[in-house]
Amino acid sequence: MSNDIPSSVLRTTTFQCVRCGLTVTAFAPDGRRRNHCPRCLYSQHVRDQVEGGPSECRSGMSPIAIAVLRTGDWELIHNCTRCGELTSNPICGDDNQFILMRMAVRPLAQPPFPLETFGDL
Amino acid sequence: MPRRKPQQRRPQRRKDVLHGPGGERGDAFRCTNCRLDVPLTAPGTAHRNHCPHCLTSLHVDGRIPGDRRETCRGRMAAVGVTARRDGEWLLIHHCLACGKLSVNRIAGDDNALTLLRLAMRPLAAGPPFSAQLAL
Repeated sequence: MSNDIPSSVLRTTTFQCVRCGLTVTAFAPDGRRRNHCPRCLYSQHVRDQVEGGPSECRSGMSPIAIAVLRTGDWELIHNCTRCGELTSNPICGDDNQFILMRMAVRPLAQPPFPLETFGDL
Repeated sequence: MPRRKPQQRRPQRRKDVLHGPGGERGDAFRCTNCRLDVPLTAPGTAHRNHCPHCLTSLHVDGRIPGDRRETCRGRMAAVGVTARRDGEWLLIHHCLACGKLSVNRIAGDDNALTLLRLAMRPLAAGPPFSAQLAL
């Protein structure tokens, strides 16, 4: 996986989303390599995070959370539906913004403590 | 506000985890970030792995939680909060030394203000797109 400018052949390669079946170009409009579907944000477990090499799992990875870097950029955290492995990846410009917003506010929709007390602080 | 948990879940199994400073059994551990002495007994969870005050954890487990097979021992900062389908919050930790991610359920005595600040972080930083356009 290289981060430099891809050749014109590589730029037109596509992959198919494991969940929704959408055919996605492998490179985002900004030139970076995509690792998740822009429509349903699902990814595929093809790289082992602990050992660093390729993984044999190859099952879908569902987006579970959004982490924020120091720079203010959003990172998408994926969880493998079969083996529970976690990965984080920067979001793309053309990712589904509705699903991104839904993930950002989902913990706040089901708080484990009453949020009313925080209004007095 | 009552917790919305209609079905009774299986109670967590107790794990015999080596929490002492030299890898022996202990009944407390010290937080690597704020140096708080944290007892192992926590309300709501049998597998406490992070400081209830600053939510920092330590990278000591390999693939299985509690196995103590990891040699990294880096500090793990809480980077995000996610919710399970039944509404239970999970903390996502990120190892500052090697970049490994892990999840753990929150405990009953975790600092609510720190948790809420973490959950609000994506919205406080502002989405990298127009939120009105998304909704």
